[in-house]
Amino acid sequence: MPLTLIGNYVDSKVLRFKELLLTMQEFFYFALRAFSTLPKAKRYWRDVLDQALICGVESIPIVLVSSISIGALMAMEVGNLLEEFGAKTMLGRSTSNAVLRELGPLLMGLMLSARYGSRNGAELGAMQISEQIDALRAFGTDPIAKLVMPRLLAALIMFVPLIALSDFAGLQTGALVAEYYHKLDPGTFWNSIYPRLLPKDFVVSFLKAPVFAIIVTLVSSFNGFSARGGTAGVGRSTIKGIVASSGLVLVANFYVSKIVLDIMH
Amino acid sequence: MIELRNVTLKYGEKVILDKVSMTVQDNTIKAVLGPSGVGKSTVIKLMLGLIKPNSGQVFVDGVDITPLREADLYPIRRKMGIVFQGNALFDSMTISQNMSFFLRENLRLPDEEIERRVAEQIRFAGLEGYEDKLPESLSGGMKKRVAIGRALIFNPKMILFDEPTAGLDPVSSRKILNLIASLKKSNDLGAVFVTHIIDDVFAIADEVAVLYQSKIIFDGPTGKLHDSDHPFIKSILSDKILEL
Repeated sequence: MPLTLIGNYVDSKVLRFKELLLTMQEFFYFALRAFSTLPKAKRYWRDVLDQALICGVESIPIVLVSSISIGALMAMEVGNLLEEFGAKTMLGRSTSNAVLRELGPLLMGLMLSARYGSRNGAELGAMQISEQIDALRAFGTDPIAKLVMPRLLAALIMFVPLIALSDFAGLQTGALVAEYYHKLDPGTFWNSIYPRLLPKDFVVSFLKAPVFAIIVTLVSSFNGFSARGGTAGVGRSTIKGIVASSGLVLVANFYVSKIVLDIMH
Repeated sequence: MIELRNVTLKYGEKVILDKVSMTVQDNTIKAVLGPSGVGKSTVIKLMLGLIKPNSGQVFVDGVDITPLREADLYPIRRKMGIVFQGNALFDSMTISQNMSFFLRENLRLPDEEIERRVAEQIRFAGLEGYEDKLPESLSGGMKKRVAIGRALIFNPKMILFDEPTAGLDPVSSRKILNLIASLKKSNDLGAVFVTHIIDDVFAIADEVAVLYQSKIIFDGPTGKLHDSDHPFIKSILSDKILEL
């Protein structure tokens, strides 16, 4: 009896593993197809513009909220810590490292995963459940080219200025906190940043934009296309998309930083 | 002409269709009758190449579509129109945009020609005055007529209907069935419609294939259905609606 139970448990785990491999295979095929339709961007330029508006312009408030919060928080906490060591003049440098390289892009990625990813997952999932995606295929339109490629291209284009905006807002907020909370001269704050800013700081920051764009768009779209089982299925696929893309954003954030800093150390 | 030849389809271990064969001739209305969940909609999706069988072949006008790539299937699919069970209208588009969408997507036609074709289908579906409405503001029967108009937009030879009267009131059902029958008379179109309502079959179908437990248990002229000795067919002829 215990052997049978163990056997069943192992069988179920093997089955789950096989399903995971199959899903990964399907995802890579889906991603490949999405990239292969990028040359059709000219045909779907209106969809690209629509998506650029949704993922770019409409995301500005949430990106600002997260970058301002993290800039203020980092300046306040790190400033308190540096004060203990009499190194408050290094506040600008510390804040810029955190905001530019790590927390700024990371929070932006997570926010866009929640905002843009959930929208993609729910919208495409609803289209899948209501057979609109089948209708596209049935009438001779490639749903990947029509629905996924514009989202991917718009995110690839718009995530870069969003990161720039996020970096700018985070640093400006850090400077304000340094001036009014820590009573640090703005010149001291900015002088600890500019001379020490290196190309790798910007490479790390801006390389994360396309990586996050690909993760957020493709993972959420793939989950939307995979929705099954009515409205509850749309909910499940949307949640799966957000959880998976957020997790992958966290992992990618680490590896992009590590690889770039290793190469450009 | 559409032909399914020894088609087997499985989802995991579950056999949906087991060596199913059937033929739909041009200018013929063929019903696929069966209880809910038996795989009737799957038959239509196989005919369009939306899903591929595990074994067997699907021919459209003599071309085996089973080995074709997605891009190669598009011109073949345009020979057929489809009306999905839930209509699958694009809810962010108006009625005329829904009808013109695929023309603009797939054919390089002048705007005047697109507008002419859309107006023709709007008239055919009896939806004049609703061109700029969104699907959400229409009744179930009207949405179905929009979906039929959209299915006709490429001037196909065959239209596939997935449960065309499901969820409609009797008056709307009758209108939709009349519309399907009129397509054959006025446009020389063939049609395949899957249904679980046997009255619909007798109302308009020239031929019927009965799908039961993954197999075709009857395939022939609708009038011959009464001659079948199969217990399931005898039971549905007495019960009229399949509740399984």
